[in-house]
Amino acid sequence: MLEVSGLTKKYGKTLAADQIGFTVPDGKIGILLGPNGAGKSTVIKSIAGLVRYKGSIRIQGRDAGSLEAKRCFAYVPELPYMYDALTVREHLEFIIRAYHADVSEEEVGSLLNRFELMDKQEKLGNELSKGMMQKVSICCALIIKPRVILLDEPMVGLDPAAIRTLKEIILEQKEYGGTILISTHMLEMVKELWDVTFVMDKGRIIGTYPRETAANKDLEELYFSVTGQESGSDLTSKPVNAACDLASTGKKRPLEWEEAGRDRAGENGIGHPDSKTVREAGKDRR
Amino acid sequence: MGAMGYLYWKIVTNHAKTALHKPITYFYLVILVIYFTVVPMSLRMTVELFHGDSAEGLVMVLTVLAFWMIPANLIAYSRRKGLVYRKADVHFLFPAPVRPKLVLLYAYLKTLTVQVILNLFALVYGRVLFHVQMWRLGLYFIFSIFVQNVLEAGIMLLLYGDRRLGERRRALVVKAAYGLAGLLVLLGILAYFQGGMKRETVAGYLLSDRVRMVPVIGWYISVLHLLFLEPVMVDAVGTVCYFLFMAAVLVAAWKLDCTGDFYEDAMKFADDYEEVLESRRQGNIRRKPGRRQKFGRASVHWKGHGAKALFYRQLLEYRKSRYFIFDGSTLAAALGGAGMAYLYIHEGGFGDLETYSAFVLPVVSSYFIFLFTALNGKWAKELLSPYTYLIPDTVFRKLLNATAIQNVQSLVNACLFILPGAIAMGLPFRITALAVLYHVVLSANKLYAYAVAEAVCGSTLGRVGKQMLQLLIQGLAIVMAAMGAVLGMALGDILQAYVLMDVFLVLFTVIFMVIAMLNFYNMEKA
Repeated sequence: MLEVSGLTKKYGKTLAADQIGFTVPDGKIGILLGPNGAGKSTVIKSIAGLVRYKGSIRIQGRDAGSLEAKRCFAYVPELPYMYDALTVREHLEFIIRAYHADVSEEEVGSLLNRFELMDKQEKLGNELSKGMMQKVSICCALIIKPRVILLDEPMVGLDPAAIRTLKEIILEQKEYGGTILISTHMLEMVKELWDVTFVMDKGRIIGTYPRETAANKDLEELYFSVTGQESGSDLTSKPVNAACDLASTGKKRPLEWEEAGRDRAGENGIGHPDSKTVREAGKDRR
Repeated sequence: MGAMGYLYWKIVTNHAKTALHKPITYFYLVILVIYFTVVPMSLRMTVELFHGDSAEGLVMVLTVLAFWMIPANLIAYSRRKGLVYRKADVHFLFPAPVRPKLVLLYAYLKTLTVQVILNLFALVYGRVLFHVQMWRLGLYFIFSIFVQNVLEAGIMLLLYGDRRLGERRRALVVKAAYGLAGLLVLLGILAYFQGGMKRETVAGYLLSDRVRMVPVIGWYISVLHLLFLEPVMVDAVGTVCYFLFMAAVLVAAWKLDCTGDFYEDAMKFADDYEEVLESRRQGNIRRKPGRRQKFGRASVHWKGHGAKALFYRQLLEYRKSRYFIFDGSTLAAALGGAGMAYLYIHEGGFGDLETYSAFVLPVVSSYFIFLFTALNGKWAKELLSPYTYLIPDTVFRKLLNATAIQNVQSLVNACLFILPGAIAMGLPFRITALAVLYHVVLSANKLYAYAVAEAVCGSTLGRVGKQMLQLLIQGLAIVMAAMGAVLGMALGDILQAYVLMDVFLVLFTVIFMVIAMLNFYNMEKA
């Protein structure tokens, strides 16, 4: 389970994340959406432990900064960066050692096979294409058998076969009870994956939408209706939920949706964090 | 082996294996061996000239290094810009369940290779130049690598890893480091007023008790005195202070609850560092790690089209820059020109070389341009940009427009560099103008040589390979110009020598301009 509550981050005077709170329970896939500059990267970097923040982030009930939490958490950044002098295999070996992962040779081979990296094992980091780097980055994340996995634009640079493999793996992770949070703009790619969507704008979560509540709503429609942005394919289209009145101001929160999400959250644990984690909000972490 | 040990070991061994497969490595090794043997020999004369060929001389050199290194390191660690992490570290290492203290020590360990090499230099130089006994040098090596590094690593851990030490407190450490450096400067000024500007004053200051009483830096210097010279009471006290300080730092570092608080700063610095590396590869020396290049607001009135766009874009960039087209090379040219004039006036001429004094300017010009070979400015950037090749215009116009402002920059540098010396020497106007022309054309030659090197070497010989070829082309240009000068002198006088020198250089440069254009054309078609 991934629980974020009261997450606030300032860069100088700029408030990049303002009291962000959401929960992705075990066995669920969360999608983080939002226009450029909405604060998604800040949230992701905070969860990955790369930036200081105020608030609380818990991974499997443990503080995200603790070694125990990090051991069951994997992160795939938007842009992969390899060690120039390490081969693909050595990247995996380093990760296995760093995470004390109990992984057999067969498991490593199987993962490399799925991403068609078997014959690239001895390639150095600086010999890989962008797409290959992304595959290695994903393999490094998966090899530790994470309980919580954070994927930032994971499909970018991948070929169609790798995208399909990744989708399969994400669903497998979900089946095994893993928690997955994906930040992406490629809505089409995740339309069949998501369980709950968090829409961000101007450093805030402006809507939390469990799939059950969204019923027949397409993820893309949902996004445009909430953010007030207009779809490039249909510039005249109106927001789906007119009651939200977001198109004109982009500020008002979609109360109906939010309430619906909150109700559902009570049922299945999705949505806002429980009171225990809320109590930790405002505490200066790390 | 743990994860960090594995990472470090694999990076080092893989780099070594890759390097051994490249022929250029062996070339570097030869250069290094020559450097190791030739430089100490040549420095020997200088050291003997200043009567510094003793253990005291070595202590003075190490003292000066300590004045610079210790405050600089303290400041860098306090600002969390002293350790270099790469983007791969941010990707794989920072989110990993590795204790942040180990992450810090890993980055520190990466600097150790350079330190071992520098200390090996110290061993060789200490023996060859300063005639210090080997056992003392051996002790110094052990102290420097093990003891001093343990202390520095402890300080680094405290400044990077302690989250209670907020930005304000770290700023205080920076101020304290400046304070220590300032104290040393004050002591130097005091020594100057007491003894005047003499070699003995400098030596007396560097070896003085007062310097050894300065906290941290002075204590380190006390240990050096104890290692290399006859010990006195102040050295013993300083050494005790050094080890007490070290014990305190180590205890504090051991107890430190180090969180990943520094990751954010380290990540920013990693991004910045790699951007700077990339900028430097493209010839932009204005970018410095930890500092964003500031741009002002400016505009240009765009005229013409095609390759003219390159010129106006560069002009706009320069206008937005803080110092317009001027940079470090402009400052160096101004200082060099003033220095030459001062030397000429102060020394009353060039002594035995007075007959050839008119040629001193082009010789020094050549050296100056050689020194700045690696800086190819915006031209290097243009060559790497695909948009340069996509612009629908002739190669000639592209070359001309993309290098125009740099040629103006060369003209400014040439005037700053040549005119003061020429005035001091009383050179006629025509010769002065030809000397300026020489400087400008040789600078242009450098740009065309870079384009040729870029086309010939591609990515096979690397950056250094390209620089070598560029230097070779420039060397040939200088040889051609020298031949013109010799011919001119044989045929007539200095003026004719200058004319032929410039004609030969211009011809050679035009040839390379054409070659550069052809290569440019081929790259466009590729």
